[in-house]
Amino acid sequence: MIEVSHLTRLYGARAAVKDLSFTVEDGQICGLLGPNGAGKSTIMNILTGYLAPSGGMVTVCGHPLPEEAEAAKACVGYLPETPPLYPEMTVEEYLRFAAALKGVRRARRAGEAVRAARRTGLEDVMPRLIRNLSKGYRQRVGIAQALLGSPQLIILDEPTAGLDPAQVIEVRRLIRELGRSHTVILSSHILSEVQAVCTQVLILSQGRLAAGGSLEELTAGGRSLEELFLELTGGGRQAGEGDAT
Amino acid sequence: MTAIFVRELRSAFTGMMGWLLTAFLTAASGLYFMANNLGLGLTDFGYYTLYQTTFVLLLYVPVLAMRSLAGERHARTDQLLLTCPVPVWGIVLGKYFAMCAVFALPCLADAGMILALRALGCTDMALASNFASLLGYYLLGCAAIALCEWVSGLTENQIVAAVLGFAALLLAFLMPGLRSLFNAGSAAALLLFTLLAAAAAVLAGLRSRSLMLGCAVFAALAVGLSALFLWRGGWLTAAFDALLEALCLFAPFERFVNGIFSLPAALYYLSAAALFLFFTAQGIEKRRWL
Repeated sequence: MIEVSHLTRLYGARAAVKDLSFTVEDGQICGLLGPNGAGKSTIMNILTGYLAPSGGMVTVCGHPLPEEAEAAKACVGYLPETPPLYPEMTVEEYLRFAAALKGVRRARRAGEAVRAARRTGLEDVMPRLIRNLSKGYRQRVGIAQALLGSPQLIILDEPTAGLDPAQVIEVRRLIRELGRSHTVILSSHILSEVQAVCTQVLILSQGRLAAGGSLEELTAGGRSLEELFLELTGGGRQAGEGDAT
Repeated sequence: MTAIFVRELRSAFTGMMGWLLTAFLTAASGLYFMANNLGLGLTDFGYYTLYQTTFVLLLYVPVLAMRSLAGERHARTDQLLLTCPVPVWGIVLGKYFAMCAVFALPCLADAGMILALRALGCTDMALASNFASLLGYYLLGCAAIALCEWVSGLTENQIVAAVLGFAALLLAFLMPGLRSLFNAGSAAALLLFTLLAAAAAVLAGLRSRSLMLGCAVFAALAVGLSALFLWRGGWLTAAFDALLEALCLFAPFERFVNGIFSLPAALYYLSAAALFLFFTAQGIEKRRWL
């Protein structure tokens, strides 16, 4: 589904992602895990064609980027870090607009919008202006937008940010459900979340891949994901120093 | 493209901005229409109303276009547009046509005023010339909108976009007067064209991501320019003048106002619009690479 090899992305002279290689197979729920600034959002922006890579090869659904960007974008649904919402539109208008952008046929747009809204629990707020929604609802509108047109690959950047505990559980259930019919990539710095939904985990540290594999592989030998994460991302060293003093 | 066009148009009129801008421009031309055409009984709408109110476009167009791309970037909604299977030119054109449609509204009001003059008994000739002027005015506005859309794509801040757009339009507005200040000899013209060649070479180098190509482009252009300077210095100064003339965005409109349907002027506005839309699309593409 996704093949990334030797991916590098520079912002000026600073490298946000350095020589990164990984693959994600069909039907996996893959978690990108890393501390703030590890390059999670940059990777997602590259996979969705928003940013171009500075070096390396990226193939999404069999289409190399950026050469076949349009074909690749057609099979990806994306929730960016900040949900890309237009506050002056109602939820229904917005979802129909997003469906049109994704190339859903005119006759199917309304149905598609309603289906995505039902899956994310938005039926009751369909006629309301996005301006007046709470942060949790806005996040859900962003997720609904990513589901439109049933893309093969769904990329969610911190999907549970700003949700209350009940909504977090609801969204995790939705992600697990999506994982049955779609490939899902999500990023998070919440370890329990990744543990709860992901089958595959990629741990990033300062733009490099620190570890990758299935959850069982990574936590083999009785180590918890938390210990591994702290060790790989440098947090463990600081904790160790703290213990010594 | 259609979806973006419809959304932009609706969003212009769900807020205050579209209504306010339309009222502003209609009030300006309405005032001149009342004072000159109705008050003094003059049938020339092109000169006494449209030409006299072109300065209002200096404010109208930058405000109309300021949020087109800068607003999207600021609100991060460009991430939706650019990650959907919509080509970049579709985004640029959808927004552009929506702004042209908003600008068509006050122009329709102007058309109503022209028809009112007809009802009051102006000649067929005057009617035709008035409509030709209105067409020129609309084309001028559309070219200015393309310029300001490009400016809006350069920044994330709407206010900066509006001020830059205003500055660019003001420069174009004043250019006929400013031209006399730049009476360049061939040496100054050579300097300017060398700078332009350097800019073109840098762009080519960045686009192709090859230092070699950039240097080669600059070398070729520099050789050409030097040859022209040595053997055909007159051509350089002529080209310099032509360049300055091309920057006078508001000048070709005067030909319409003088009662001539000027095809070169119409082509000038259409190509200026196309050029700036091309720049806009290139600017969006470039930002994703750097």
